[in-house]
Amino acid sequence: MKTSIIYKQLNTLSLLLLVLTLASCAKGQMRSAYRLNNLISRSSSSYREPSVGTQWLATLVNRNGKEKIELIDLKNKRVVSLPGINRSDSQPISVSVSANGQRLAFVRQRDDQTELLLYRRNLGTLQTLRLSPRGVPRRVSLDGSGRLLAVQVSRDGRWDIDLIKLSS
Amino acid sequence: MIGCFALAGCMSKVDRLPNSLLKLSKHDPALSGNGNKLALIVDKKNGSSVELQDLLKGTSLPLRYLSRHQPHSSPSLSWNGRYIAVITQRGNRRLAIIEDQLTGRVHKLPVPGERVPVRLSLSPDASQLAMQLSENGKWRIEVFNLSEIIEPDQPNQRLSGN
Repeated sequence: MKTSIIYKQLNTLSLLLLVLTLASCAKGQMRSAYRLNNLISRSSSSYREPSVGTQWLATLVNRNGKEKIELIDLKNKRVVSLPGINRSDSQPISVSVSANGQRLAFVRQRDDQTELLLYRRNLGTLQTLRLSPRGVPRRVSLDGSGRLLAVQVSRDGRWDIDLIKLSS
Repeated sequence: MIGCFALAGCMSKVDRLPNSLLKLSKHDPALSGNGNKLALIVDKKNGSSVELQDLLKGTSLPLRYLSRHQPHSSPSLSWNGRYIAVITQRGNRRLAIIEDQLTGRVHKLPVPGERVPVRLSLSPDASQLAMQLSENGKWRIEVFNLSEIIEPDQPNQRLSGN
């Protein structure tokens, strides 16, 4: 009788230890942002090239077979309008957003040209950035302030990286 | 050292930096939030390797865990460059990891299921990580909250030795 009680207590203790172990494993793992991810997965079947600001996610999204640049407000979980940034005759290749979401640098293919551009949301302006010496841009990365830009550039058959100081 | 500061448009300033890796192909640039550090991928004989550059001092910074597990791809930095996230190779799997430059600690970030990480972006404060995943031939992006596993890297903080 006593042995049976001891076994029951040991079983309970083992179960408790298992639960505690699983709980400690669960803590310390990265957690999926479910609500946001559901919103993203519902709206399109293809998203790529993520760039995260303090509360912004810039990405390339495929809608009806056409890729475009999209900016998502992570705090309010909504897509932000970017008037003038997407053109029907161009294909975006890479995008990067500043920490405050006000500046987006991107590379796009239009006709036979690969263009490097800076979009200022507060002004709604688009500025073409020219590389010197000339090269073909591929990937971009803005710093938090949006005033320094790193660009992956193809020159003479080799990838290089340019750093560009942008004006305020 | 990195490539160059280049002129961009009529409103931008350009400088050129010395380039000791001139013969090597460099790609996937990622600036830290404060703009003082740059992570990039350099194509070497032993595979594509991530490098971390201090842009103020013009020097390469040592990486511990990330000196192995090539090929690397898609680096991303937090505000002060305390955290560097990158996709590495573990056996036959691609694995996202974050190396803490302050403590030397490495955080492995396995993705459940058959999804394969393709690109990463760390938020400036390192509280969130966006991952482009390949799943059944499709690309999708998932955002993960990291606040339970790493402490934030805020603009007003400084790394020791900086």
